[in-house]
Amino acid sequence: MKLRAIGIQQFFRVSSGLIILGLLVEIVSLLWFHPLAFVLFAFVGASLIGLGILVYLASLVFAVSPPAGNRG
Amino acid sequence: MFGPTGILIAVIVLTMVLAVFFLIRPAVTAGAREKILAFIALFILPALCIGGGMSRHMERSEQTRFCISCHAMAPYGQSLYVDDAKYLPAAHFQNHRIPVETACYACHANYTIYGPLKDKLQGISRIYVQYVSTPPKTIHIRGGYSNLQCLRCHAGARNFEANPVHQAIMDSLKSNQMSCVSSGCHDTVHNVAAMGNVKFWSSAQ
Repeated sequence: MKLRAIGIQQFFRVSSGLIILGLLVEIVSLLWFHPLAFVLFAFVGASLIGLGILVYLASLVFAVSPPAGNRG
Repeated sequence: MFGPTGILIAVIVLTMVLAVFFLIRPAVTAGAREKILAFIALFILPALCIGGGMSRHMERSEQTRFCISCHAMAPYGQSLYVDDAKYLPAAHFQNHRIPVETACYACHANYTIYGPLKDKLQGISRIYVQYVSTPPKTIHIRGGYSNLQCLRCHAGARNFEANPVHQAIMDSLKSNQMSCVSSGCHDTVHNVAAMGNVKFWSSAQ
């Protein structure tokens, strides 16, 4: 159970990291007025954010939270 | 001042702050309230950021200055300022017959139901040609310029419908059998090869 609890935390870390990276790319793409900015957003930023969301959703399906007694 | 891009950036920053919180302290999601917060921070808000970003980029890609920011399109942008009424795009642009901010899009957009999607896919293929392949010296519209682009505004307009020349060939124009721009009538379009020998109009004059 403890391993699974670590698992969900890892899922959250990976998800948050991907989302932060994707959002940074999105900010750069919004501030850069150029046709490549769209490519940067669509193929890098949105993909990273989307992957982050998928990892978060995967954590809901595959990872199990620790039981109430183990919660700190 | 604090336009749609500003609002979107504010939402992005808020999402980032929350995501950083869950990156540093993922263990806090043990409680029900924190689980809801995680759902908002790692699902709802990022999804909003993707949707908002896509919408902003779509809007920006319709702007004239976006189109002419590609090197190959720069002379086409110049042609909008030619001081000669025979130049069809210049006459439309300078007399505000089309929205100045979205001049390229107004005349080159596909207005069918999936048109905007087709336009964006074509746009991506043009970015590929610009940055990966070699742009052709003369740019041609695939399948030619459709009269439907002109008729979207001109059909039903008095000065178009009442013109005896138009009346005589109306069926051919509406069925796209005779082109508005390549049948000898309105055939001076961008004509970018002549950009070095033309006089330009300046709106500041």
